[in-house]
Parts: sequence; structure tokens; C-alpha cells
Amino acid sequence: MTTEILAAPLVVEFPFTRSLGPVQSAFLTGLRERTVLGVRTTAGTVLVPPTEYDPATAAELHEMVQVAEVGTVTTWAWNPHPTGKPPLDRPFAWVLVRLDGTDSALLHVLDAPSPDAVSTGMRVRIRWAETRTGAITDIACFEPYDGAAGPAPRDHAGDFADAVSVVTLPARLDYTYSPGRAQTAYLRALAERRTVGERCPECAKVYVPPRGACPTCGVPTGERVEVGPKGTVTTFCIVNIKAKGLDIEVPYVYGHIALDGAGLALHGRIAGIPYDQVRMGMRVEPVWKEGQRWPDHYRPTGEPDADYDTYRELV
Amino acid sequence: MRDVAIVAFGQSDHVPDSREVSEVEMLMPVLKEVLDAVSLKTADLGFVCSGSCDYLAGRAFSFTMALDGVGAWPPVAESHVEMDGAWALYEAWVKLLTGEADTALVYSYGKSSPGDLREVLTRQLDPYYVAPLWPDSVALAALQAQALFDAGAADERVLAGVAARSRTDAAANPHAQLRGDVPMGDHVVAPLRRGDCAPIGDGAAAVILAAGDRARELCERPAWIRGIDHRIEAHALGVRDLTDSPSTRLAAERAGAFERPVDTAELHAPFTSQEIVLRRALRLTDDVAVNPSGGALAANPMMAAGLIRLGEAAARIQRGASDRALAHATSGPCLQQNLVAVLEGE
Repeated sequence: MTTEILAAPLVVEFPFTRSLGPVQSAFLTGLRERTVLGVRTTAGTVLVPPTEYDPATAAELHEMVQVAEVGTVTTWAWNPHPTGKPPLDRPFAWVLVRLDGTDSALLHVLDAPSPDAVSTGMRVRIRWAETRTGAITDIACFEPYDGAAGPAPRDHAGDFADAVSVVTLPARLDYTYSPGRAQTAYLRALAERRTVGERCPECAKVYVPPRGACPTCGVPTGERVEVGPKGTVTTFCIVNIKAKGLDIEVPYVYGHIALDGAGLALHGRIAGIPYDQVRMGMRVEPVWKEGQRWPDHYRPTGEPDADYDTYRELV
Repeated sequence: MRDVAIVAFGQSDHVPDSREVSEVEMLMPVLKEVLDAVSLKTADLGFVCSGSCDYLAGRAFSFTMALDGVGAWPPVAESHVEMDGAWALYEAWVKLLTGEADTALVYSYGKSSPGDLREVLTRQLDPYYVAPLWPDSVALAALQAQALFDAGAADERVLAGVAARSRTDAAANPHAQLRGDVPMGDHVVAPLRRGDCAPIGDGAAAVILAAGDRARELCERPAWIRGIDHRIEAHALGVRDLTDSPSTRLAAERAGAFERPVDTAELHAPFTSQEIVLRRALRLTDDVAVNPSGGALAANPMMAAGLIRLGEAAARIQRGASDRALAHATSGPCLQQNLVAVLEGE
């Protein structure tokens, strides 16, 4: 039987907060002040953007210099399909720009009407962003330039009032999550309030939830086995600290439950009994709530407790 | 120093979208293939090393799930690199040299289909100066291609020739994702066209390494690793000469690639223009068979495509089609980091 594989949107967002060293702090703060700083290497060349260590000798660098806002394109690439994430939302050129008087190139974007207006060797200048915070995007983009050469690099202390020392860099990636064959079958059964695992063809253990492989034998699991719905508490703990946003009164009990026929225990909340009366070996069954896709909690069945030997391998 | 060889290689079919299988489900048939080829079980292995990257599918610690496919209980000696499997192979090679293990399983896998690979790869860039601009992988390769054009080292016609040769050769590769007559298409980021770019897809690969006589027991014609080394460029793109790859040349020199000519080279060039850069850096002459498998332009499963270059070169030696082959793997923007191995048959 082929089942349509489940898929759902998954967004990963991570606003990294990063501290800056003296070189990066001076460069990014400089951009905020419309001042482009480079760093002088051991050999006397000037790098923009400035590196903290000499790419040739690995020596620590600290001599900052102020450089021109104009420069020359050393290579370029035309992007006809802007995605919205780079700084320009219309077709533009990616460029490496060597600012006048420097010996390395800065990666940025060039605002140009068409690829016919762009060439290696063309002269460009910085267009500053209106709002600047101390980031590489304080340079809005480069634009074509036909004026005079920029001034030669001159020493700069790299000191600014209210220097930027920490930057927060947001990032977001959008995925379509698909759990694969085994977990799709598990989730589809769960939607029907059934719990389905998969049996290992070699060791016969039934995995719940199944992940498609037996980690002991290293072979695919395929035979689907319905387990439960009743099970046995193999171990538990009493939760005394209320989790943020969780609408459950403390203390409550969280336990490992071996569903009948399963080769390993899964976990769930145990309720319908005072917290201090929950015990290992207690027989439980799931309680489903309307609209929930997994059991809300497990409650005692009233059956006699299971003998320890029947679940000792699952503790 | 002990001699270490590749004694088995396997790979999945590489496909644009593998949503019907989880990562471990994709990987398991490949692991079984290589273990069966040498009649070994997980418990017989001295070491297991893998390469993968959580950013591709957006799943934290996905490699721990993948380990289920190995059969890691009782515990195995295991390691993982957040890199292409070629670097996992390097770690396993070092482990075998120490004498602590005689055999190793190396595997890697990548599922790019859940995300937007071009965007995902921007997250590996310098987070202060570069990543906030979201320069995608094709854009950075296009800057390199234009630099090659400006230097007179290639043009669009030359690149189209690399694309056509690769996909023609891939016609004989049952695992390839792109083969035969593939149109060059429109510019993705000019000067690179669709046909200049490796296909984006999902796949897995595995090899078995063995040392000395153990290798001879397991395989009729082991592919001996005569040398292997990896080197990296300065991380600021703007200080590099993008038309050259000094790190590849240095790694090749340290691996002994220039001591005698090779007859085969499996180059990990995800863009046609990068094959030009690598050929120049490695001083490959026209009589060397370059990427007879079709190379990364035929299938480029992230984190596995480099390991596949080593595996394809080894497989060619095992079947007697090569006596001395060079295998190359790359990682990062514009050939940032490069690994070179020299493989020989006896």
C-alpha cells in the first residue's frame, strides 16, 4: 500500500548575537559614520573589509586606515532574479570592488540598469543607506561613478563614540519537512487514535515511534505492528516546576509507558490519580481529547499492577 | 606507515526530491551494499565516520538518527564531521594509520530538497561582512567565472563544452541525476547558465577502508591511498585570486600527485567554471580522463559528492580501468577548501 508522504512547512530562525573584536568593531562602526576603514597588513598592503589576522602571515592586525568611498569593479555577476533577501529588490550585479588605494576587494551589490551597464574595471562609489546601525548593509549598494580618484589611505585611530561591540544578525530559512515513510505511517495512524510501530526482522523488537531502522541490527524495519492502547508505567518523575505557557497544575507526573507489544517505552503525562500514588508497573491507558493529534495523558486502567519481570527490559 | 585502501564503494541514485524516505531510510541500502561487498557486519568494523550537515534539511543532530542505519548498538567507535564525507574519509584514514583499527566504514548523505540550497549555503559565509548580503552559491561561483573570462582562461563556449562532456559521460552512470543532452538554459546568475550548475538533489554514499593485508583479503584489487591532504584558502573572498586554486595545488603536491602522471581525475567541480580552475591548478593534460562518472555536474548530493569522487576513482581502479587516479573534493564558496587524494592499484 502506498501512502502519501506527509510534508509540512518548517521555519528555522536564528538571530545570532555576535561580539566584535577591535578590528570588526572599528569597521562596522565606521560604516555607521560613513567612514570606510581598512587594516594595514604586515607587508604594508591595505585590506577592506579589514581582517583581524594577516591572511599571509596570520599576524594579529590592528593598524586601521581610512580609505576612499570610490573604487573599481574587479569582477561581477548579473542577478536577473532577485529573491528579496539581498539588499536590492530589482535585478542587480554582485560585485567585488577594490576601493582606491586598497589591495583587496569588498563583496557587495551594484545598482545598475542592465548587465550592459556593468563591466570589470568600471568605476563605482558607495551609496550609503539612510538608516545606519553598524552593519555591512549600511552600504546600501554601489553605484556607477565617473568622478576623480579617491584620496589615498590615511591613518585612523579607529576610535568612535558609542562604538558597536555586539551585532545581532537575524537569519531565517524556510524548509518543507517530510518525515519519510515510517514516521508518516506512524503519524497517520495516530490521527486515527492508533499507535503503530515497526518490527525489526532480525531481533523482532517493535520500535514505537518507528524511524525506519533498527539501531541494534542496522537493518530496515518494515512490518507494521499495532501496539497498545494499554500499557505499563516503567518509570516516572514528579514535576514540581510549572513550565512557561503550559496549562497544567503542578505537581504532576511524567512517565515512561511501555505500550503492550512495544519494544521500548514512550513518554507521556499520567493523570486521573493523585501524583503520589503513581507507581512503576501501574497499568494505564491513553485519554484523547478532541482536536489533539496525540494522547493528552494516560490514566490508570484499574487492572492489577504488572509484574516487574514483564517490563524490566524496558526500564 | 601502514598502507590503507578503499575496498568498497556504494552510492544511492541521486534524485531531486526524496521526500518518501527519511535520511536513515535513504542511507541504509547504501550501507548494506558496501558491507555486503566485503562480507562485513557493523560489529566487525574498527571505526565508523560520517559527514553530513544539519542546515540542509533543517534537522538538528540528524546524524544521530542516521547512525540507526549503521546498527550502533552495542556501541561502535564512531565519529562525525559537519563536512563532506571526503573529510570523514580523511579522519578514518588517520585512524587506520594509528593502528587502532584495521577497517572503517565512511558514509555521508545530504538531503537538499527540504530547503532552498542556494540560501542555505549563504549561512556558511563570514557572518559579519558577507552573510547579511545573502550572496547565494551560484552568485559567488558566477563572480569566479567572470574573473576567469576576464583573464582569458575560459568563455561561455568552453564552459558549455565542460557541461556537455560531463553529461554525456554520465549516460553510463546509473546513479546520475542529469545525463545525456541537457540544454544550457538561461542565465541563473550571469555568466553562469542553468547548465553550468550542478543539479540540486538528495543522495548518499559510503566506502569501506581497510589497512594492509586486511584490504587484500577483502578486495581483489584495492585502491591504495598513496597520499591524501587537504588545504584551505584565506576566508575573505576579496583577498583571493579566484582564477587559481593554490590550496588544491598544495594539497595535490603533499599527496604526491605531481610525482607521476595520473590517468584519471575525479574532480569535485559543482560549476563548469570550477573544473577549469582545478585543471589549471592540477596541471592536468588532455590525456587524463576527467570525471568519467560525469562528476558533480551529473549529481551533486551535498556532503556526499566529494566522497563520491574518491569512491568513483577507487571503483575505476578496482575494475582495472585505472592504475593511478586523482580524486578531489571541495567545500565552501569558490573552491574554498580542497582535498586531494592519489589512489593506485597494485
